[in-house]
Amino acid sequence: MAKFDHDVVIIGSGASGGMAAYVLAQAGVKCLMLEAGPMVDFTRHRSLKAVYDLPFRGFGEPGRFPHITQASEFDANLWIDEKKNPYSHPENDPYYWVRIRLLGGKTLRWGRASWRLSDYEFKCKDHDGWGENWPISLADLAPFYDRVEPLIRVSGRNEGWAQMPDGKLLADESVDSLSIQRFNASARKLGVPTTKPRRATGTLASSVNLLLPVAQATGNLTIVPNAIVRELGVDPKTGLVNAVHYIDRRSRREYTVPAKVLLLGASTLESARLLLNSKSRQFPTGLANTSGVLGRYLFDQFYVKNTVTALVPEARGGKGPRNLMGGAGYVPRFTNLKPGKPEKNYLRGWAWDFGSGGTPSPDLFPQWGAELAQTMADVQGAGFAMTTMGESLPRYEHRITIHPTLRDDWGIPAPHIEQRYTENEHNMAKDAMETGVALCQGAGFEVLAAHAQMVPPGESIHELGTCRMGADPKKSVLNAYNQAHDVRNLFVLDGGAFPSGGVQNPTLTIMALTMRASEYLMEQKKQGKI
Amino acid sequence: MNRRRLLQTIAASPALLPAQQVNPSPDESAVLKADSPDAAGEPVRRFFSPAQFATLGALAERIAPSIGGRPGAKEAEAAAFLDFLLASSPRSRQGLYQRGLDSLDRAARARYQKGFAELGGAEADALLAPLKTKWTYTAPADPQAAFLRAAKADILRATANSRAAAEANAAGRRRATGLNPYWHVID
Repeated sequence: MAKFDHDVVIIGSGASGGMAAYVLAQAGVKCLMLEAGPMVDFTRHRSLKAVYDLPFRGFGEPGRFPHITQASEFDANLWIDEKKNPYSHPENDPYYWVRIRLLGGKTLRWGRASWRLSDYEFKCKDHDGWGENWPISLADLAPFYDRVEPLIRVSGRNEGWAQMPDGKLLADESVDSLSIQRFNASARKLGVPTTKPRRATGTLASSVNLLLPVAQATGNLTIVPNAIVRELGVDPKTGLVNAVHYIDRRSRREYTVPAKVLLLGASTLESARLLLNSKSRQFPTGLANTSGVLGRYLFDQFYVKNTVTALVPEARGGKGPRNLMGGAGYVPRFTNLKPGKPEKNYLRGWAWDFGSGGTPSPDLFPQWGAELAQTMADVQGAGFAMTTMGESLPRYEHRITIHPTLRDDWGIPAPHIEQRYTENEHNMAKDAMETGVALCQGAGFEVLAAHAQMVPPGESIHELGTCRMGADPKKSVLNAYNQAHDVRNLFVLDGGAFPSGGVQNPTLTIMALTMRASEYLMEQKKQGKI
Repeated sequence: MNRRRLLQTIAASPALLPAQQVNPSPDESAVLKADSPDAAGEPVRRFFSPAQFATLGALAERIAPSIGGRPGAKEAEAAAFLDFLLASSPRSRQGLYQRGLDSLDRAARARYQKGFAELGGAEADALLAPLKTKWTYTAPADPQAAFLRAAKADILRATANSRAAAEANAAGRRRATGLNPYWHVID
């Protein structure tokens, strides 16, 4: 028996779960939200400390985070406990699964970069013959992008480029620093487009401050933190989801709550893990998996951090005008935009974030002692750096499965994750490095270091696929509205739905897809189809 | 507590002023000031051998000397901190340091007939030549170069993140420096 009469159960409270609650609760839909982690109190849980007062002087406790390179000693308690939440990967193909289990999920720490996908992604197969098209186009999602961007207050500059669709933006009309202007001019000479960063404004812009408070104010949202969902139950007569089985994180007591409609937004890999762990007579290989592709086509965006680090010579020694250094920019994908055979030795393309005004790492200088100290004083604030974000191709063999014996601290079967970068991604990373060096040299910068070493799959925290949407139920898990082909009262709202991902940070698209799916759900309910 | 820290503490203390009358309320809690463990005692070494620790201390002083009155690795007690850090580090990291320090000392004895900790600056610097290798993303194939690169980064960080460095940075400024938001355990 449910303690109250809810219309939908939402699993997860981040970008997708938060947006579903935001849309549905305001429309009068009674929502029960189950979040695996605790609530965050920014006043109680956060205080100012000096780095020397930390037990490990900012190095962090050795071995605490084998895969979460983003964790610092200051924010270590925000990230998931890897010992209590284990997973496996092939020995020679590391996968860095970066997780946050708190109310608000990864929106507590997201970089806020917010780019629309384009029809180069939605209709990728039409463009170059590889992979699968999405069952929707930009025109289908644009009205929802139009509403999400103002909600999270995205700033940037519209350029009218097909591969970087314009948005409803807070216009960024700031004047670029002289070093950024020089880089942009160098890029123009080589036909490389540059623009302003496009980012949700504010220091948090999270589900917990922009979405959930609005939803809860309606009186239609009940949030239950510390509820780790173990399995979804299925009605043997109808094949529909009818129950959610969850475990209280602290007491380990088990609970069951009925579900009329289930909205899954636990994050790409957690959602797939839950579906794979929810086996029944109707779905012996996992819920909504008659296609056999549940868990498959896992991909992300590869990152090459600081692929080029350079110096602006005029800024050495603190010289140069005040407006020489500072600021940032973005280069959207610009390769292989013409239809047909690719112009490069790889498919698709990459993007860059670049920034001016940092101080290069002392690691880059083959010096020590007084000589190094002199150099570091000389180059302070004179750095220019570029990071590559490249498209990785979704492949059938890249997938999440359930480990036969490994369990988490609550006894729930843990995942095994297989993804590796292939020749396509390696060729792209090399081209990005070489092009980046040429642009910096063209701008008159002194290149200190360049490399094409990608971080391991997963580390970009842009994991996508595993429950991909598609027009063909034999080749996809979800339809064009994030609704399971097999189970009409089940929706997967997170990055799992993506059939391809381009180079754009995915959170904006996850929110737009969720808004669209939530409104579709209400329409289906009105029509009595759910 | 070392002598420098003791003098700083005395200088900052209002102990010479007349004690103010305090009448605590039995119903209200009070906020008391506290300090970290290393403000009081000397750390106990628990990982490196005495010879390795001496080599590390000398290496740290070459990498991050005190310059212009600013604290270096010695004032930051970087070697003692790294002894603590390495004690709980993965075995591969421990081995890198132990082999690297032993090798450095052996090279000093072979070349100069004395330990690395006893070398003059120019002599020591000659043994640090692998640090002149051009930077690559992956660690150098030469184990000694890989050790020196790791040690350089750790020594610089342990120095920069020390209390001594923070106090030097804060000197003469009105605002405290080096403070960042810290997330407590959330449960």
